[in-house]
Amino acid sequence: MRKAFILLMLLLPASALSQAQPSNAMDAADWLKKIYHASQKLSYAGIFVYRQGDRSETSRITRVIDPAGDTEKLEAMDGMRREVIRKGDEVRCYLPDTMTVKVDRRSSQLSFPALLPAQISTLSDQYAVVKEETARIAGFDCQTIVLKPKDEFRYGYKLWADLGSGMLLKARIFNAKGEPVEEFTFTQLMIGGTIDRDRLKPTYGQGKQWRVENASVVPANLAESGWTVTAGIPGFHKVVEVRRQLRDSQRVGQIVYSDGLAAVSVFIEPIDMRREPVRAGMSSMGAVNIYTRELANHIVTVVGEAPAMTVRRIGNTVEYHRPQ
Amino acid sequence: MKSKISAMMDGELPDTGLAEPLRALREDCDALETWRQYHLIGDALRDTQVLSSGFSERFAQRLAQEPTVLAPARLPMRPEHKPYKIPLALAAGVAAVATVGLAAFVLMTGDPQIPQAPAQVVVAPAESTVVAVPKGANDYLLAHQNYSPRGSLQGVAPYVRTVSESARPR
Repeated sequence: MRKAFILLMLLLPASALSQAQPSNAMDAADWLKKIYHASQKLSYAGIFVYRQGDRSETSRITRVIDPAGDTEKLEAMDGMRREVIRKGDEVRCYLPDTMTVKVDRRSSQLSFPALLPAQISTLSDQYAVVKEETARIAGFDCQTIVLKPKDEFRYGYKLWADLGSGMLLKARIFNAKGEPVEEFTFTQLMIGGTIDRDRLKPTYGQGKQWRVENASVVPANLAESGWTVTAGIPGFHKVVEVRRQLRDSQRVGQIVYSDGLAAVSVFIEPIDMRREPVRAGMSSMGAVNIYTRELANHIVTVVGEAPAMTVRRIGNTVEYHRPQ
Repeated sequence: MKSKISAMMDGELPDTGLAEPLRALREDCDALETWRQYHLIGDALRDTQVLSSGFSERFAQRLAQEPTVLAPARLPMRPEHKPYKIPLALAAGVAAVATVGLAAFVLMTGDPQIPQAPAQVVVAPAESTVVAVPKGANDYLLAHQNYSPRGSLQGVAPYVRTVSESARPR
């Protein structure tokens, strides 16, 4: 009898005994991990719609994982021809109208913000992570996961993930009132199967007239040149600090802050590099808010998928003190 | 330069002598710091009420709760987004006006003949602080996107903002 009791105790899962966390939250966090793993290991091809305000645009996305690494291609199907190809750590953006390729390669000396499975549990400091209803998207039965922000400094997220593979079929960002700010939805998706590798090749950028703009990202310490940014938003931490090329300017500082899910970049560039007058103020593109201000002969541009208040507040913590 | 800034603040410089200290204030952070310190000293001497810390945040919050009368929506937005965005824009606009007023006040305090200076400042429209998406916005977005943890869940899809037609400068 006693032996049977011990055996029963051993068989019971630890979570059932501890009751430390509600099981729904545990499940929701597990779902985020599942989405993460799906995004790392799945090959797929599909069409998705991006909605922002009253606009919507259709894009084709193709991703292939093979021993040589992974390659992902995004093609805009509406409007101006453009495409983005990511190969490992390198992102190339092809802009046929100006015959420009913009190349951004992550510096190997830096670690980059990623929502790794180990960090998913810390998200619960800033968001209530809840599993909600199941729904059908593009022919896939999906589980919905909601990340509801615990304050007004960040947007909320609703994610729809395929019950089988964990592939993210739909993602919505919503504001403090629960209104959608932007949305990504697959309308057609094929996971696995035979994907024609030619579809990953760039359509443009082969001729000699094409101009290559390299970001040439290097680690930096902007405080050495007199810049301090305190950010001052709960949960947002500095994750990357670099110097990079941006358009014609070679000395643009970039500091990235993140709460684990949302990220805000602070760009600092000398004003004399810009040919046009600066318009200080706020602007927005879907969930991305942009704040521009002038400081000590520099332009400070803050870009992030966070509410305008957050982006402006981070921008206003930028200070310059002439280095001694 | 410090003595020139001091003289300018006291209105003791001839008009022809203003160019140099004004240029210094534009270009030289030390000069600007001197300017700030002299004004701080002046404020302390005159017992001027300084705004309490966190004033603008509280003000913006209070303002956001006020009913909205302006509609400076130049960006494509759904009507339901407006109540959320306009109070912020409005708050920023008023903050800008407040700054202009304060700057004017600071500039005028040297001259006791014009005690009503802030009232004479032309009020900047609230729209002026909701600006069009900056010309190089796509470059910033592209540079930003690579460092967003969201890529861990969604791969390259968020780059659609960069290639989005609506994101292009008009």
